[in-house]
Amino acid sequence: MMLKKYYSAILIGVFLLGCEKEIQLPLDPNQSLLVIDGSITDETGPYYIKLSKSTGISEASNFFAVTNALVIVKDNLGIIDTLKHEKAGSYKTSKIKGSYGNTYYLEVQIADKKYSANATMPQKVALDSLRINPFPFNSKIRYSVIPVYTDPIQLGNSYRFIQKINDTLDQTFHVFNDNLNNGKVNQRPLRGGSDSLEVKLKDIVAVEMQCITRPTYLYYYSLYQQSGAGPGGGTTPSNPPSNIIGGALGIFSAHTVQRKQIQIQ
Amino acid sequence: MLCVFQIQFAFGQEKFVLNGNVKDQATGEAMIRAVIRIEELPNLGVLSNEYGFYAIALPKGRYTVIVSQLGYEKYKEQVRLDSNLNLTILLRSANTLKEVVVESGRKNDNLLKPQMGTETLNLNAISKVPVIFGEKDILKTLQLLPGVKSAGEGNSGFYVRGGAADQNLILLDEAPVYNASHLLGFFSTFNSDAIKDATLIKGNSAAQYGGRLSSVLDVKMKDGNNQNFNVNGGLGLISSRLSIEGPLQKEKSSFILSGRRTYADIFLRASDEFKDNILYFYDLNMKANYKIDEKNKLYISGYFGRDELGLGDSFGIDWGNKTGTIRWNRIVSNRLFLNTSLIYSDYNYNVKLKNGLSNFNINSNIKDVNLKQDYTFYLNPKNTLRFGFNSILHNITPSTFSGTVINSNPKKGRNGLENALYLSNYNKATDNLSLDYGIRLSAYSLMGGDAYNIYEKDILVNTIQLDKQSFGKTYINPEPRVTANYRVTDQTSIKVGYARNVQHLHLLSNSTASSPSDQWIGNSYNIKPEIADQLSVGFVQGWKNNTYELSTELYYKSLQNQLDYKDGAEIFTLADVESALLFGVGRAYGLELLWKKKEGVLTGWVSYTLSKTERKINGINQNNWYNAKQDRTHDIAVVGVYTLNSRWSISSVFVYNTGDAVTFPTGKYSIQGQTLYQYASRNGNRMPSNHRMDLSVTYDKKRKKRIQESWNFSLYNVYGRENAYQINFQDDPKDPSRTQIIQTSLFRWVPSITYQFKF
Repeated sequence: MMLKKYYSAILIGVFLLGCEKEIQLPLDPNQSLLVIDGSITDETGPYYIKLSKSTGISEASNFFAVTNALVIVKDNLGIIDTLKHEKAGSYKTSKIKGSYGNTYYLEVQIADKKYSANATMPQKVALDSLRINPFPFNSKIRYSVIPVYTDPIQLGNSYRFIQKINDTLDQTFHVFNDNLNNGKVNQRPLRGGSDSLEVKLKDIVAVEMQCITRPTYLYYYSLYQQSGAGPGGGTTPSNPPSNIIGGALGIFSAHTVQRKQIQIQ
Repeated sequence: MLCVFQIQFAFGQEKFVLNGNVKDQATGEAMIRAVIRIEELPNLGVLSNEYGFYAIALPKGRYTVIVSQLGYEKYKEQVRLDSNLNLTILLRSANTLKEVVVESGRKNDNLLKPQMGTETLNLNAISKVPVIFGEKDILKTLQLLPGVKSAGEGNSGFYVRGGAADQNLILLDEAPVYNASHLLGFFSTFNSDAIKDATLIKGNSAAQYGGRLSSVLDVKMKDGNNQNFNVNGGLGLISSRLSIEGPLQKEKSSFILSGRRTYADIFLRASDEFKDNILYFYDLNMKANYKIDEKNKLYISGYFGRDELGLGDSFGIDWGNKTGTIRWNRIVSNRLFLNTSLIYSDYNYNVKLKNGLSNFNINSNIKDVNLKQDYTFYLNPKNTLRFGFNSILHNITPSTFSGTVINSNPKKGRNGLENALYLSNYNKATDNLSLDYGIRLSAYSLMGGDAYNIYEKDILVNTIQLDKQSFGKTYINPEPRVTANYRVTDQTSIKVGYARNVQHLHLLSNSTASSPSDQWIGNSYNIKPEIADQLSVGFVQGWKNNTYELSTELYYKSLQNQLDYKDGAEIFTLADVESALLFGVGRAYGLELLWKKKEGVLTGWVSYTLSKTERKINGINQNNWYNAKQDRTHDIAVVGVYTLNSRWSISSVFVYNTGDAVTFPTGKYSIQGQTLYQYASRNGNRMPSNHRMDLSVTYDKKRKKRIQESWNFSLYNVYGRENAYQINFQDDPKDPSRTQIIQTSLFRWVPSITYQFKF
């Protein structure tokens, strides 16, 4: 995937003839679906489950909040938490405590439609540090950040990294697993595609590391693969595989959270 | 099987065999598919084979032998046949004004060539057809024919009758070429200076071909001039080429050596921004032949090509094909011709990623050793039998990883043995009806190497580890093929054909575009051979002594055991890529029209294809039928070559096609502050349609002594159309609540100049 991005960068770069413009296209009507965006983390609660509706592509992105739902989160210890609607489709927990090894069950009911999902929070893998990784690129020095952690010896760990450069969110979906480097210290940088933000000297890079479940990995990895559709780009796009049963979009995740930041120098 | 052969033996009359070779008088090149007829027996006729050999058995008597070949003067010779006779036929090159670009039958020859959906490219003539960067290219010219679609703008990849790019068998002197493109597809691996002839068969191939579903592209290298030495070359803006050919021993042996190199990277180095870019390819074609005696001839040919692409030290990818063929022609008896080939083919790629101190490499490789024996038996004037076998040992290593940051990869290569037996008969049943029917029996045996995992409904149920030399499951498939050609009048004929093709190797690609790093994989316990059944009907009508010709073909193709990836499949890093595969079926149908003007100062053709191609794969698009990405409803190409005089000629190409089937979002939503898109059915949308016109002017300088020079000026995309190469949806930077649709296009106006010389 990464390699296709390079490939595409060379292609567009070299031929220099590429030109971009905004166009209009006839698009199919959209079927508005429920969107569930929820996560339970190992940080202290409350945790929020956000419910909204998808909208047509040509409409403004003012996503309609769903405020009349019954939202329940249970865990394997027997706690049942009925969430309260706070504002704008955001439902707040009051009893659930997030900790690794526990399984969380989400139930959402709107009128007579039911949706459900579950997720088991994985073990926390310590984020030891952030390392600056300078690399030459077209006779300039560029930078990226390597999250330093040691992958546990058991196979099957998945990670997600959210990177902010001077408080601006890097839109690239950074998800790693241990298919190739099981049990090793990570040396892979958080390098966005050609379209991502460029990291410069003096920039402050903040990284949130999440130890995620396999379904969450699959969800974000699919999104990552689809980015940059077109020749040299991604796979044929589709709605990413989700752990939500009942026909809603989105993801219900249980993950650990660690944060670190570094200044490029 | 034999019972269906309507072999009629003629008894009671003494017969003698007339045989020999058909050659170009000036260069000694063997003439393929020349038509040999007997004036006194107008119903008879044979074609010379791939090596220029022909044989015909006739009763004792006096005959007039007439031989015709496209671009050559008609040959006529009186013979007296009272014993077996060997007659070498030397053809003289015809006036170039009459050159036509594409041949698929001439006056009366339609009857002799029953093959359906077959197009032969004349290499001399395609030099006039404009192409991007001014480099004549058989693959790009093929894309201007009906039923053949380009894999993208400027791309040498192609789709035939709804098949995927990996469903084309591309042969270079019988050796399969696994990746026929250079430089991101802008050049093909075929250096036209080294090529004699290229034939594309769109699914109704004769039984001697097999292994791919959609088409066979059979490319033959030149043998090399066995009369005189020649140096041939071309200088272009971004590439140059040079060939040398000549006799080693006059009339006994000859060679050709031809090379190419691009130098776009030299210009890049001059720019500050791109000076670290590496981007070039080179390739080399070699061939030599040696006539041992009148009955035995040996050919050795080879190809070597390599692409290098990179960004300084941080990224590099290189890939290339190597092929080698040794062939031995033997005239066993005056009616039996045997060719034995030993073929080697290798495709590999390497990716290097370097990041500070750590580095990471990916390698993949496919190697074949192939033994073939092909017999042509000229049984009698009405029947020509062709039979033989083909045995290929494949060694396929999918992507393996190495580097400082990762564990050593446990993936090993796998072997597979592909065998085929075939028998076919070309039968001239009546004066007006000719048939070509046969059967190919193909088998693929799984062999040792990496373990085979067996999945049932996504669950691993068994693992089989075969020893290096032992065999696992064998898939056996009979592939019946038949074509019939009925001549209604001298200018009208009807063709019908059915063929089954089976494919044992599969190219896995999860991207919307091809890349050198797409992986080949053989059959396994999960992956079954792909099968295609194609039924086609054709109609050919000529006018004005066949100066104009309209051919129409209708086809329907049904595909089984097609494969695709699951959503989110990590094709590179998965321990077993087979766990991420989905299987299904496909169908393709269409109408192809080709209207040609074959003679005169203006020659050319108009081609039109109306087609549909769909897939139905379990796990994709709610298991419903969806458009394959190469589904394009309309495809039009207009090609014209206008010869002003013996110095100047102008040519032009216009193409129009419906955009590729793609998936655009229907809606959007937000997850953690990021806009994500909602999709409905797969490939239910269309890229905007493409159209473009190219122009080219060729100037042939007056010949000075031995030196022949020419200049070619061409302009790609004359009216600067911005064809969509890529379409992205994104938040409008000025108003993030609005979604913007951004189109990226590549070339507008690519001029090129090529200088060519020959001495």
